Amino acid sequence: MNEILIKYIQEHLLSSSDIELTSEDDLLGSGLVDSMGMVKLIAFIEQEFNLTVPPQDMVIENFMTISYIENYLEQRKQA
Amino acid sequence: MIFTLPQIIKQSAKLYPDKDAFRYGNTAITYGELSIKMNQLANLLISLGIKKGDRIGIFMGRSLETAIALYGISNAGAVFVPLDPQAPLSRTHFLINDCDIKCLITNSAQKRTLKSVLADPLSLKNIIGIEDNWPVESYSWTTVFENQSKEDPNINILEKDLAYIMYTSGTTGQPKGIMHTHYSGLSYAKLSKALYNVNPNDRVGNHSPLHFDISTFGYFTTPLASATTVIVSEAHTKMPASLSQLIEKEQLSIWYSVPLALTQLLHKGLLEEKNMTSLRWVLYGGEPFPPKHLKQLMGLWSQAQFSNVYGPAEVNQCTFYTIPKNFDETQSIPLGAIWDNTEMLILDQEDQIVKQGEQGELLIRSATMMQGYWKQKALSQKGFYKMEASAESPIEKIFYRTGDLVRQDENRNLLFMGRKDRQIKTRGYRVELDEIETALLRHAAIQSVGVFPVKDEEYGQLIGAAIVLKDQHKLEEKEIRNHLSNFLPWYAIPGQLFFLDEIPRTSAGKVNHKLLQKQSINLT
Repeated sequence: MNEILIKYIQEHLLSSSDIELTSEDDLLGSGLVDSMGMVKLIAFIEQEFNLTVPPQDMVIENFMTISYIENYLEQRKQA
Repeated sequence: MIFTLPQIIKQSAKLYPDKDAFRYGNTAITYGELSIKMNQLANLLISLGIKKGDRIGIFMGRSLETAIALYGISNAGAVFVPLDPQAPLSRTHFLINDCDIKCLITNSAQKRTLKSVLADPLSLKNIIGIEDNWPVESYSWTTVFENQSKEDPNINILEKDLAYIMYTSGTTGQPKGIMHTHYSGLSYAKLSKALYNVNPNDRVGNHSPLHFDISTFGYFTTPLASATTVIVSEAHTKMPASLSQLIEKEQLSIWYSVPLALTQLLHKGLLEEKNMTSLRWVLYGGEPFPPKHLKQLMGLWSQAQFSNVYGPAEVNQCTFYTIPKNFDETQSIPLGAIWDNTEMLILDQEDQIVKQGEQGELLIRSATMMQGYWKQKALSQKGFYKMEASAESPIEKIFYRTGDLVRQDENRNLLFMGRKDRQIKTRGYRVELDEIETALLRHAAIQSVGVFPVKDEEYGQLIGAAIVLKDQHKLEEKEIRNHLSNFLPWYAIPGQLFFLDEIPRTSAGKVNHKLLQKQSINLT
């Protein structure tokens, strides 16, 4: 899951290909991904993991880093 | 009487020392603290040899330190230059060089970005905000607050002295710096405070980064009223559900942003269940608000007044329009009437005043007007229109040419009719389409290009680019986007790229942008 997300962000959302991305990098606050990028990322997650992210789930606590996203997806799986 | 920007904080610190001046996330700074910290930063700058009129860069994202930086620099008599840390490196280097910036004020979030900026330090001598092993001297915020005197350095600053330079998109491929004095900045704060009746109880939501001129309301006007500015974090601007929580939790009473920030909340249905009755005035600017969506929002926030704010960064603001509850959503919303201390002209192509109700270019003369573009004499002259002294007016009058085409309706409200040139607004940001063409043509495999606006239901206007490659060359979309990201900010990178065999041209041989725009609808 981790690799899929890193690969997608690195290939489609980062402005420069030489940025090394880790699971703990702040995607939202550091300007790594812009707001259009977040929209794309969420659309990718919905398609890739076959689920719908409802608007009220689009919060910082769920999407700030790749590991936050993993936690969120885990919770969704269990629910 | 106050006549400079740092006096805003000194005045509010006397009146309300314990009141929050700025809030960010779970942190806050009071007027009392801010007045001390800005002195400490000013004292460090002076000890580093910074003189009145020197340019200092503010290199950070939304944060509390932006307020300390802005007022500390001003209180040292220096000129602050907001830089966008997310801008391409070449643009940052251009600005540092163009303004001969000796010192950057920053914070720890920019460590990674600064490292690449400092690979070529140019005129830089000091970094304040992070201490590190860099080729230039650096000071952490902690050392500033521990070691520097809290006394006001009392630099003699005149209202006509330069206070800040804000950069905007330029047609030639390089951005241009808009020069504002303490007088023009403070005039904006005074006029907007009076117009929207900003008072000490207000809590103002500031959605814009410092390098975007909409932020002057949160950074100048709110403190002038001794009210509280809530700086919306970068993360909140990207996560709509968090943003709606913030408006409710911070009990915001005034909101000011580009329309997109609000339409995103609306579309996701994130407003219905929240209690946002604290909002009393919603201001938007930067670009038109789709009337249909505005009507919906006004229905949800029925207790609030809504106003359209218009004015290029060169004049801060120049008109206001408060939207009637029963406005006709099939019509576009007027820019409104000019505000106080401002005069306007509507001129035709021969610089003659148009007949009442006819279309022409809007020119503005105002207390809030810029001094010109930094180190760009020819460009400044082109941007101003001088009305010679005459029998009726014994003094020469200088107007700024907005480039916006307008006409006055029967109620004397100005209506926006389009642009005189190829500047567009996309997601509230100002972009010169010719700058994008210049950047594209810098790629060795690109033969010719045409960049044009693309209408979009949600985003208003996006950008499309038609590209013809040189013979025997191949390029992927991704390579083109990577290339552009070296020169342009993210919002100026075209979302749609079209590869053509040939660029359509007008009979005069110029790129036929209108036709490209029409064709693009069929191409997608």
